[in-house]
Order: sequence, then structure tokens, then C-alpha cells
Amino acid sequence: MKPHRRKKLTIIAFIATGLSVAVGLSLYALSNSIDLFFTPTQVAAGEVSSGQRIRIGGMVKEGSVARSEESLHVEFIATDYNNDLLVRYDGILPDLFREGQGVVAEGMVADGVFQASRVLAKHDENYMSVEVKAAMDAAERDRADAVPAGESNGS
Amino acid sequence: MFSGIVFSSVGEFLQMGTYAFHVWTVYGVFAIFLFVNLYLPRVQRRQFIREQQRRAQRDAHTGKANAGQNAVQADDSVVPGESE
Amino acid sequence: MWLWFSKLGSPKWFYELSSKWLPWLVVFMAVAMTVGLLWALLFVPEDYQQGFTNRIFYVHVPVASISLACFPLMAGAGVITLVWKMKLADMVAKSAAPIGAWFTAVALITGAIWGQPTWGTWWVWDARLTSMLLQFFLLIGVIALRSAIESPDAAAKACALLSIVGAINVPIIKYSVEWWNTLHQPATDLTMNENGANGPEIWVPLLIMIVAVYSFFVISLILATRNEILVRERRSQWVMDIVAREKV
Repeated sequence: MKPHRRKKLTIIAFIATGLSVAVGLSLYALSNSIDLFFTPTQVAAGEVSSGQRIRIGGMVKEGSVARSEESLHVEFIATDYNNDLLVRYDGILPDLFREGQGVVAEGMVADGVFQASRVLAKHDENYMSVEVKAAMDAAERDRADAVPAGESNGS
Repeated sequence: MFSGIVFSSVGEFLQMGTYAFHVWTVYGVFAIFLFVNLYLPRVQRRQFIREQQRRAQRDAHTGKANAGQNAVQADDSVVPGESE
Repeated sequence: MWLWFSKLGSPKWFYELSSKWLPWLVVFMAVAMTVGLLWALLFVPEDYQQGFTNRIFYVHVPVASISLACFPLMAGAGVITLVWKMKLADMVAKSAAPIGAWFTAVALITGAIWGQPTWGTWWVWDARLTSMLLQFFLLIGVIALRSAIESPDAAAKACALLSIVGAINVPIIKYSVEWWNTLHQPATDLTMNENGANGPEIWVPLLIMIVAVYSFFVISLILATRNEILVRERRSQWVMDIVAREKV
């Protein structure tokens, strides 16, 4: 390679590396505000002041969804498996809102309860046909039946 | 893996469960996207060729000895395909 | 190697070679696209969570992932332009920008249409969506920069620099779903999960669509580059010959 070309290439490499480092550092510094939501653990640790408009995210705890019969009011527990957060919401839930699936809610914390003004469903990266899911559930039930209840707790 | 067509009728296929609007809008956007990116270059190419042919013809008609040079100068004013 | 490199850099050589290969590539794409689309629309089973919105996956994922190839391509061409001053590299870079903008826009639009029923919102300012929108604006910026600078040489250099800088955004888009918490789900692991999800009935048609959309990207890029070659080389004899021969 001719010297002037090597020089140019070095300059470009320097600029690119410098910029990447700068961008990387600023993204690292900003990482809290780039995160879309707070986890229940962050809320429990008091990282959010009450009355502040935030988003929280977690999994909808199995068996925690309680719907009101006469209104759109719904309550459920969002969990990150370390801490739980009770969410209250009045409104229409998205199609993919399910127990055991991810959820992101917008609103604010008041007295340890999250009052949501909007609820979004977060879906996972797994795709399965209805049949495969049914077959897997059936297999799981069989396994659960085969093992006495006391032992399966440990697995 | 390949269990056959999952719809039992054309109507069911068009309905896509309850998601007809979403699914067909996406495939519509995709079709436009394919069409534009494959067809537009053809149009631009034809435009360019036509333009250049007209230029060559005009130079031939005026019959100048240095027609080639004039063509180069005229060329710089309008270049089809570069306008977008 | 260097001879090959400089030969590759000749627009005429590229034009002639692509004339030979283009028909085959188009046939290949047409077959892959037809098989992929029919499979995705007709044969993929209904998803246990999403129902038939999983059809959108087969358009959105290939288009979005291939849109990420654009900036690295333009950055690579940019380095070649800046260091070796190869004309062809800049022609490819110039042609790639609008195509990349199309891919990014279609990824954003199809993503919004998918998000509306599944997430419950068209748009959210999470890291994935925002960095993807940034890529769109960067590409518009490259196109605008090109048309704003009159001298083609200066424009080529400026665009090359902007492309190299813009390529930093690509790993950010790719890893945004892992580095930060987002509404967008992480990339689907297609290496056969143990939990039975993402089986071959899901990923084989996706793979076909990725191949089809990739060849579509290459074909559009070749077509646009060929036009760019004709325009820039219009004064050379071989282009004049093509013009004289062709009936329009």
C-alpha cells in the first residue's frame, strides 16, 4: 500500500474508533434513561419517587389477574421474580395481555401500588403453533401427574 | 413441519383470524416496496437512454464538426436520473 | 489480487458482469419470493399467542435485518472511496442510500402495524425503535448531503464520512434489545429451542424469505448502480454505444 493511502486509512480508523468510544461511553452513561421501564425491584428499592410518571415492566404473575365484573377495572401483579408490584388499571388491555407474559405499564406509583394509565403487552421471541403448544402442555401435565406433588416442587 | 394449508376456505384466508387489516396492509406495503424498487430503475434507465438519444440526434442534425464537444457541454445542464 | 481489485473497480467491467448475472438473480429471487410468500401466508400455523399476526413476522424480520446491511456496505464503500478513490465504490454507496431508506421505512411501517394489535401501541420510544428511526434519518441525511454538495468529489467524500459515522448505529440497533430493556422482543433464536418453540415450521419459511429479500436487495442495488454508471460514464464510448443500440 502506498504511504499516503496508509496514512488516510489510519486517520479514518482513528476517527471511527474515537467516535465509537465516545458514543459507547455516552450510551453507557445514559443507559438508565434509555431503558424503557423500571423493574418491580427498582420500584421496591425506591428508585422512583411517588407521583412521578414512569413505565414499569415485568411478567404478569400467574393467577394474579382480577377483573371487575361491572367495569373495565383490572388488577394484576407485575413481577420480575424478585419483587412484585400490584398494578391497577381501568381500560382495554391489548390482545397479547396474558398471565405469564411480559407487560409494560405507564402510570405512577402511589402507596406502593402502580396506578396505570396505559398497559402494553410485551411479547417474547418464541413462536409456536397452537397444536405444538397444546401438545407441550399435555406433556407437562403428564409429567406432573407421574411425579408425586411433593417431589415436583424441587425440580 | 409441513402440515398443509391452515385455512379451510378462501374467506378464512382473507380474514386471517381477526387480523385481516393488519396482515394485508403489511403485505400491501411490501408489494409496493418490491414494485417500486424493481420498476423505478427501469423507468430511470429508459429516461436516460431517451434523453441521450435525443441529444445525439440533435447533434447529428446541426451537423457541426465539433458536435461531440457541444454534446458534452449540453450534457452538464440536465442529467436525468440524477434529479432525485 | 491488486489487478483483480482494480478490475473490479472498473464501472464497465461491473456493468458487463452484472448484465450476465442479473437475469439469473431475478429468476432466483422470483422463485424464492413466491415460495416464501405462499408458505408464510398459507402454511404457517396460527401462533398460540399472536394468532395470524405472525404473518407479519415473515415480512418485517427479513426487511428489518437486511436494512442493517446498508450502513456497513456504505461505510465499506466509503473507506474505499476515501483511500483508493475507486469510482465504482462511490456509485454503489450513492445507490445504496435510497434503497436502505426504503428498507428502513418498510421495517418501521410493518413493525408499527404489527405492534398495534400485539403490544397495544403503534409506537414506543424504546431503544430498538428509536435507533431504527435514527437510521432512517441518517440515510435521509446522507441522501440530502449528496444533493446539497455540488462538486461530486466533495459530495462523495462527505457522504463516505457520514456513512462511516452512521455505521456506529448498526450495532446499537442490533444489540439494543439486549443492552437495555425495551418493548421490542429480543431476536428470535432459530437454533431449535428445547422448549419446542420456533420449530422448523416457523423458521424454514423465514429463512426462505430472508434469502428472497436479500436477493431483492442485491438486485435493486445492482439496478440502481447500473443506472448510476450509465449517467456518470455517459461520455465514454462504451456507454454511447449502448445508448445508440438500445430501442426505447
